[in-house]
Amino acid sequence: MTDITKDAIAPPRSFLSQDAIQLFYRLLAALLICAVLAVLSDSFLSLGNILNVLRQASLTFFIASGLTLVVLTAGLDLSVGANVALSACIAGTVIHKTGSPALGILTGLACGGIVGLLNGIMVTALRIPSFIATYGMLWVLNGLTYWYMAGETLHGFPAGFRQIGSGYLFGLPIPVYLLLVFLGIGTFFAQRTIWGQEIYAIGANPVAARLSGIPVARRLLLVYAVSGTMAGLASIIFLSRLNSAEADIGESLTLPAIAAVLIGGTSLFGGVGTVFGTFIGALILTLVLNGMNLLSVSANWQPLVTGVIVILAVWLDMKTRRRAQ
Amino acid sequence: MKRTLSYMAMPLLMAAAFTTQARADGETIAVFTKNQTNPFFQTVRVGADNMAKTLNAKTLQYIPTKPDSIPEQLSQIEDVVVKKPSAIVFTPVDYKAMVPGVEKINEAKIPVVNITDRSAGGKFLSFVGADDYSLGLETARFLLKTLGGKGNIVIIEGVKGSLTNVDRVRGFNDALKEAPGAKLLASQPGNYQRLQALQVMENLMQSNSQIDGVLAANDAMAVGAIEALDGANRKAQVIGINGTKEAIDAIKSGKLLASGDYNGFAQGCLGTMMAIRSLRNQPVISEIVLKPTVITKDNYQPFDVPLEQRTCPTFEDAGKLSAK
Repeated sequence: MTDITKDAIAPPRSFLSQDAIQLFYRLLAALLICAVLAVLSDSFLSLGNILNVLRQASLTFFIASGLTLVVLTAGLDLSVGANVALSACIAGTVIHKTGSPALGILTGLACGGIVGLLNGIMVTALRIPSFIATYGMLWVLNGLTYWYMAGETLHGFPAGFRQIGSGYLFGLPIPVYLLLVFLGIGTFFAQRTIWGQEIYAIGANPVAARLSGIPVARRLLLVYAVSGTMAGLASIIFLSRLNSAEADIGESLTLPAIAAVLIGGTSLFGGVGTVFGTFIGALILTLVLNGMNLLSVSANWQPLVTGVIVILAVWLDMKTRRRAQ
Repeated sequence: MKRTLSYMAMPLLMAAAFTTQARADGETIAVFTKNQTNPFFQTVRVGADNMAKTLNAKTLQYIPTKPDSIPEQLSQIEDVVVKKPSAIVFTPVDYKAMVPGVEKINEAKIPVVNITDRSAGGKFLSFVGADDYSLGLETARFLLKTLGGKGNIVIIEGVKGSLTNVDRVRGFNDALKEAPGAKLLASQPGNYQRLQALQVMENLMQSNSQIDGVLAANDAMAVGAIEALDGANRKAQVIGINGTKEAIDAIKSGKLLASGDYNGFAQGCLGTMMAIRSLRNQPVISEIVLKPTVITKDNYQPFDVPLEQRTCPTFEDAGKLSAK
């Protein structure tokens, strides 16, 4: 019994050794891309562009940070993008109808969280594999959003609300502050709290986790609810940054978020990975697109380049991981 | 052109042979559109409903739940062939991939009108659509005229390889060739998505200190680009395509220079009209390619009316609306 418990709790402790090496490689990859872009483009290293990249990476990061926890438990949440779309449309309507951004923000977060909770209930109480449960949820959410919006677009929000996504504070974009805050909270939660360690343990070995007294179902519920709430937060940032919402915004958000988690070194098999890695993953994806825009890479080649970089990043990760073992 | 004329003549002859008021009304018209997300198709659907109501017929709307899904539209065609509506008004989600679907409709001998995107194959009794190339050409010409034929221009493209994008961007580029004073700085993909267009614009502003004009392949991307410009406190003349309500609002407030429109409402109206007329053995126009409208602050009023309150063109108008 004691050995199983030890095994189950072991992965987070190894963060300082093996995961630290993985993170180092990942940072190196990001820096390498930066170095290449700095040589090829004069404007890349300007302060404006660096802030630009951070702000663009933040939206993907918000979605991907919650998703990281889900993937750490060996689950997947395919509904995040659709959740962002529904939450944005509902939050946007509330702001339009009541004129209160605060009420809209609360509604957006609550909508995202409730969807996440429903995902969690399907995975725990109904024991539906997360891939299927959240894939089904993706359709349900799309259906609801398309029906609700009926081909219309919401646009035009109060200037104060717009500050969240577009404003600056002491020269830094506000989403960048939020990025730092959630990067801190996420890392602390995963690495330094009992709940965080239990999540790693569930992903590493769910049977051992249950036997060692971890309330697996309750933790899974929490993880899906957090993922949903982060999608709700992303919807608020989206609304205030773009000044609008429409039904089809989700489609282009899900896969980059999943890619950020995986490029960041979180294993689809669970138990291995960090929120900081996911941040680097989001950064790498953003850097690639930013670089291609700065260098005016032809629209024909952009999907190909993105694809190759994603494959290279994951392949390098697997290679270094094997060597480390 | 000769072929078009002979097609046009055939229904005329048929109409002469029969009396004009041949069959009772109450027909059911199945209307196929590409998705529920693009406001353009909402205008098509409202136009179709409007015309059906005027002519005392019913519509059944078929829309893939997953936008532009080829398998889904194929299975909807299978359903419709079993249900046998009086006629079909059809927009293929993909102009090539849906040809086998159209052939199934043809085999079932259900009369079908092609609207919006021209199908690469199959037999249709009429085509009602617009020309994306001239839409791109005319909007870009308007931008260049406003800029006095010079300036630094950026193109934000839609989904690479989609028919609409290929033609619109070709139109943009041909208009740019007519203005030697204008310089194309970049042509980058925004995939018809607002967020992607915003980010592309933010990135392009980093490497280009002076951008005078933006040509976006749809309105959502145009508005995304405007948000990016506003965020950086920069100004440029921006063009969109589709004539959405959002674009009209932006034109009214002076943020958007213009939006190209090929009148989805009229496409829905006229497609349905042709289908019903053929059922009633009345003459049909075999091809209507609508002229693009460049909506600007001088002519936006007719477009600033809720869809439900718009009126369909008459059969006599249809001939005049055609560019050919």
